Amino acid sequence: MSDYKAVIIGGSAGSFQVVTRIVSSLPANYPLSVILCLHRLKHIRSGFVEALSIKAAMPIVEPMDKEPIKTGKIYLAPANYHLYVELGNKFALSTEDAVNHSRPSIDLSFFSAAYNYKKKLVGIVLSGANKDGALGLKSVKENGGLTIVQDPNECQVPTMTLACMNATNVDHVYSTQRIIDFLLTLE
Amino acid sequence: MIDNLGIVDTKKIIAAIHESYGLDLSDYTLSILKRRFAHVMSFYNIGLVDEFVSHIKRNNIEYEDFLDQLMIDTTEIFRDPSLWRELREKYLPEIAHSSGSKIWLAGESSGDELFSLMVVMSELGLSKNIRIAASCPSKNRLKRIKTGYGYDLKKMEIGEANYTRLSGKFEFNRFYKMDGNFALMNPELLDDVEFDNTNISQEKVNKSYRMILFRNMMIQYNLPLYEKVARKLIDNLVVGGYLILGNMESLEYSEIGKKMQLVNEAEKIYRKRID
Repeated sequence: MSDYKAVIIGGSAGSFQVVTRIVSSLPANYPLSVILCLHRLKHIRSGFVEALSIKAAMPIVEPMDKEPIKTGKIYLAPANYHLYVELGNKFALSTEDAVNHSRPSIDLSFFSAAYNYKKKLVGIVLSGANKDGALGLKSVKENGGLTIVQDPNECQVPTMTLACMNATNVDHVYSTQRIIDFLLTLE
Repeated sequence: MIDNLGIVDTKKIIAAIHESYGLDLSDYTLSILKRRFAHVMSFYNIGLVDEFVSHIKRNNIEYEDFLDQLMIDTTEIFRDPSLWRELREKYLPEIAHSSGSKIWLAGESSGDELFSLMVVMSELGLSKNIRIAASCPSKNRLKRIKTGYGYDLKKMEIGEANYTRLSGKFEFNRFYKMDGNFALMNPELLDDVEFDNTNISQEKVNKSYRMILFRNMMIQYNLPLYEKVARKLIDNLVVGGYLILGNMESLEYSEIGKKMQLVNEAEKIYRKRID
């Protein structure tokens, strides 16, 4: 059994295909909770889950406010809300101001996950065009979690992963395939 | 701004607020409170939690000023255009049929929901058929709402884009005027609105409404308070009346929610069942 309870993944511009590859590589009985915080158009509420689900074996849902967090599920931050991991192993949503021009903000999701899961969290940041996620990943590191960024050489837009590497001493810089291989070792 | 207040510090602040202001935040969502406290501290240029606590205890920050900063701006005028379209095309004309119908906006913080509703009502020409009540716990904020609030341009752009998405009947700019860098909504939209400072999480209410809008407010509460507030909202609805929550909120974690039927899942419109 793995020591980790949850994986949180942040991504923005250029991350959709990478996320699709990752979620479609995880088996239906994957024993961790997977939380996705991806920048998305705020006024388009539906379609994203369906697109990600096409090849995925794990169920993918946008969590409702107060929804209990379960293992074996993939949770996608819904449009136009921030997504927090709240005390008591459930999600909380929020309509506070955008952070880094983003709602959902990757930093905010990562802060709350880092605080609640401590060393039982794997934080992964993928391709993206701004710095949202850098302070979040730093917070995962500071709380004892494992930090991974997608190799900037492979990223369509490397700004976000480079910002992470500037903000903290990232544990691993991996290609998409190595991220997948690693996640499968946690089974 | 402090990014990650710990639970111990957050609880210290909650206790000081309760002691000094009589405002009980102990059943509010911690993730949100942490961010709000950090915001208030940064607004008052306070770096340390102990310093913040002592300011609160010594009443250095007036309650109304504190509350003003603590509350969340509810993000957008016409947030979720698809809801406003539903209201305009179906629900508002329906409830306008019954005489004396009354709608309650039970938790206004920045007037977004109120101005959105009043614009739609003016499109329908229903302003005289349905009475509107709005509660805003903050006196400062209520004062701003009554004079058009003053939104920044970014917010007005979003509001205008949303209004276009719901195929608004008018040009959006007829509803506001510029005052320096800020946009003031036309206060005449609010001529027939009854206002009060009720805070539903802390006070009793005894009314009967045909519709209550309370979108993205339940997210602030932990389960016990959420249950309590849900009960108050439902108790203040007539049978057959509607409760509207945010599109990612739900009554499914509450006992009292069984009294309600979900009639529009995408927009979280609930209808009160006959007992």
